[in-house]
Amino acid sequence: MKLGRRKFLRAGSAALVGLSLKTDRPIAGSFVNDSFQMGHLLRDRASFPPAKHIEKFPIVIVGGGIAGLSAAWRLRKRGFTDFVLLEMNPQAGGNARWGENEITAYPWAAHYVPVPGPKAEFVRELFEDLGVLKNGQWEERDLCFAPQERLFLYGRWQDGLEPAVGLTQKDRDQFQHLEGLFAKFRASGEFTIPLELGRSSKSQDLDRLSFSDWLQQQGCDSRLVNWYMNYACRDDYGAFAKDTSAWAGAHYFSSREVEEKGPLTWPEGNGWITRRLLERVGENVRTNEMVHRIAETKRGVSIFAGDTEFQSEFVIFAAPTFLAPYLVEAFPRLNDFVYSPWLTANLTLERLPDSRGAEPTWDTVFLDSPTLGYVDATHQSLRTHIDRTVWTFYWALADGIPAQNRQLLLDKDWNYWKEAILHDLERVHSDIRQCVSRIDVMRMGHAMIRPTVGSVFSKERRRLTRRDTRLLFANSDLSSISIFEEAQYHGVLAAQTALDRLHGHR
Amino acid sequence: MGILLFISVLLVAACGLIYELVAGTLASYLVGDSVFQFSTIIGTYLFAMGIGSALSRYLNRGLVYRFVWIELLLGVIGGFSSALLMMAFAFTQGFELILYALVIVMGVLVGLEIPLLMRIVRDRYEFRDVIAHVLTFDYLGALGASLLFPILLVPRLGLVRSAMLFGLVNAGVALWTTYLFSTQLSGARTLRVACVVVICGLGIGMADARRITATAEDNIYADDIIFARDTRYQHLVLTRFKDDLRLFLNSHLQFSSRDEYRYHEALIHPGLAAVPVPHRVLVLGGGDGLAVREILKYPQIESITLVDLDPEMTKLFSTHPMLTKLNDKSFLSPRVHIINADAFPWVDSNTDNFDFIVIDFPDPTNYSLGKLYTTAFYRAASRHLSAQGLMVVQSTSPMFARDSFWCIAQTLKQAGLQTYPYHVYVPSFGEWGFVLAGTHEYIPPISLPSGLRFINVEGLPGLFQFPPDMAPLPMPPNQLNSQVLVRTYENDWKDISH
Repeated sequence: MKLGRRKFLRAGSAALVGLSLKTDRPIAGSFVNDSFQMGHLLRDRASFPPAKHIEKFPIVIVGGGIAGLSAAWRLRKRGFTDFVLLEMNPQAGGNARWGENEITAYPWAAHYVPVPGPKAEFVRELFEDLGVLKNGQWEERDLCFAPQERLFLYGRWQDGLEPAVGLTQKDRDQFQHLEGLFAKFRASGEFTIPLELGRSSKSQDLDRLSFSDWLQQQGCDSRLVNWYMNYACRDDYGAFAKDTSAWAGAHYFSSREVEEKGPLTWPEGNGWITRRLLERVGENVRTNEMVHRIAETKRGVSIFAGDTEFQSEFVIFAAPTFLAPYLVEAFPRLNDFVYSPWLTANLTLERLPDSRGAEPTWDTVFLDSPTLGYVDATHQSLRTHIDRTVWTFYWALADGIPAQNRQLLLDKDWNYWKEAILHDLERVHSDIRQCVSRIDVMRMGHAMIRPTVGSVFSKERRRLTRRDTRLLFANSDLSSISIFEEAQYHGVLAAQTALDRLHGHR
Repeated sequence: MGILLFISVLLVAACGLIYELVAGTLASYLVGDSVFQFSTIIGTYLFAMGIGSALSRYLNRGLVYRFVWIELLLGVIGGFSSALLMMAFAFTQGFELILYALVIVMGVLVGLEIPLLMRIVRDRYEFRDVIAHVLTFDYLGALGASLLFPILLVPRLGLVRSAMLFGLVNAGVALWTTYLFSTQLSGARTLRVACVVVICGLGIGMADARRITATAEDNIYADDIIFARDTRYQHLVLTRFKDDLRLFLNSHLQFSSRDEYRYHEALIHPGLAAVPVPHRVLVLGGGDGLAVREILKYPQIESITLVDLDPEMTKLFSTHPMLTKLNDKSFLSPRVHIINADAFPWVDSNTDNFDFIVIDFPDPTNYSLGKLYTTAFYRAASRHLSAQGLMVVQSTSPMFARDSFWCIAQTLKQAGLQTYPYHVYVPSFGEWGFVLAGTHEYIPPISLPSGLRFINVEGLPGLFQFPPDMAPLPMPPNQLNSQVLVRTYENDWKDISH
């Protein structure tokens, strides 16, 4: 008897495919919130319509992310309302945008703010305004509910993200050694949030080498230690430790008090803050307004968006700074601004998948995955019974050159990313394909600033924080790290400067 | 014919593995300790297969005839193995004995199959081809079975019917073999009749599997099950033994009709009778209507709002004659308004005031329920209290879960309330605790509704006394971001069960 191998393989694979197809759910979805088309118009110096209308505002804010909205918040809090905020996207919020479906609201990018320390005065002030901080107490409902984080490793779950299972004595020693070093950095007072308040040239040497080189100098060769350090860099900077300044790596671990309250978070992540800010400043915000030229004139600055010329005395440039050379006339080329490309996805789940017995947490990470895991939007719900949910899936394309990864984001279709995401989740949730009904994918070519070696103390950066020009920069990328607190800090400062100088003029 | 023959090898191998998996899985489900169960079952099974292989040398004549009988035997024993084991667990003390005996018998039979088959076909092929083909299909069958079992069989068919399905496959192979080797077989007709009988038996078994499972489950709960349903939210089981009705939610006892009056009188009267002029009452949880029955004893109450998650639960307690007898048709009173909603969001969005609030949730066994025992929840609930209002919280046992009880009391205090913990003895539960809370001082009532069987005015002050073994402990409050109570509760009960 002979059974041809080919015939056998065909029969066998048909059986397997049949099995997997039978129970899968059809998955809908698409790319959403794409903005590269507009970016490419600027990059390619497309021609824009000439101005037909003129509007006058003493202050114009360009960009409606957290920096721009915070600037607007400060202006209105000081009683100043004669300004306009121009946002190119249909929805304000930038990296703090959110979405909503019939199940829950969910974040599109940034999804938490750590409980701010005493130096982050503006953040504390904002949270007092929003009722999150009352008489020195943090509102319980805004703190991340327990259980917060879990890491999947060696076929099981552990609480928290720092590997704590299966550690050798060497791993343990190295984690401890690093914790000691970070504690010293913390005590030095040089690693603060906002970063500008602590940074001093004493630790400038750290900015001259990569975080991975620094780790090596410290004798950290443990696989788990390196995984965790790289995870931290990918999570906050979208980069590997080898592409991150050691100063920034140290800042990640040394800038916050070790405390157990957990971060502040909401179902829609930082979109909640965007919403609250929009409630306060929304009437000054114009969306779908793409600024295509900024030119200094004799009396001030003109901003061109669509067919309108906005004549102003001060411009708060809160959009990502890399856009400045494309918008501002005669603006020099920038060298120290590298951005990490990202992909986020929101998955609608019709039921909760098998989690190998674990109760759901807010944040879930898999050891050795190229992705960053996912956050559960209904975790912060007050309901006791949850059968459907939305997961926000995060993926910093850290591996390789940013420009090439941006091209990859453009080249691959939705189906490719859908499969990649499911493939990643399937390693732990074997029945994920039977649970997911929709996957919407957001591609961000310049998602966050990357603190490359030398960029934290970069002179170019320092020049852009000057306060004596009509063009006041405010994006978080001025700090070389892309976090809420930095964005808010620069936005508020720029607003204060603009107001002070405006009143000085008059 | 060759391919057909080898397919039967594949099927036979799949059956063998399925029986082994069924035994291992059932033992893990019922007894626990899955590593131990699977290790010993696989070991015993393989060893028994070895015995079977050794025995095969003593079978010399009528190999096909014997092979068919082995298949039939295996079909019957393997096919009914799962049902048999469930019954053994439910009705006998000797589950392990029966388990391993069954594993050995099945292992011996499975061990006989392959050697016999090889010898049956050895004249048709070269020896090396026989070995290669038979073993190839044997392993393939094992792979197929091991994939099918977790992906399709257990989720779709369940253990009882999966075993029966493969019993049918064994019997099918037997029947098929009688045709395949009809030339080497005498008495084929008798064999075929036997095959058909076995196939019918297993077919009926499959159709009736639900009753087998139910019968076994009946006996795992001590009493007769008179009602069982998986609602969207919970597994609801009602049992009866003589005049004792018991309700279980997700296997946790909620009440026994013999002594539930103690629990519900204690839950309601110390607080409600102390409210000067109660008009409006809110009950959170309490879908059995028993707390409402007690509240209806106050004629001055105008309205009772009951918020319970599960509509099937409130409907059951509004319609089932035995249950409406127990709760005095409390849900049918025009003063009662039933709302099926998740409590926390409801409390947040509603703006009404109440003179008395009853918080009667299941114990905080998981993080979802734990949210209903937090400072955030109690703050939200206390916003609904009228000026003279009080609330009472079911707070688990101060005896068996002492840390948890005092954690709940501390949580209420942290939420800005004055607290008055008390406890009673409910035979089917043991010592049970409650916490009264309000914004003003609590003074025990001097009169109670008539007709109470347990609570009386004289005994009231005693309920607020805690003997040393239940005395207060310093505990942190339970908050949404810490959920210390869930862990505390788990530890408390772990200590008891060891």
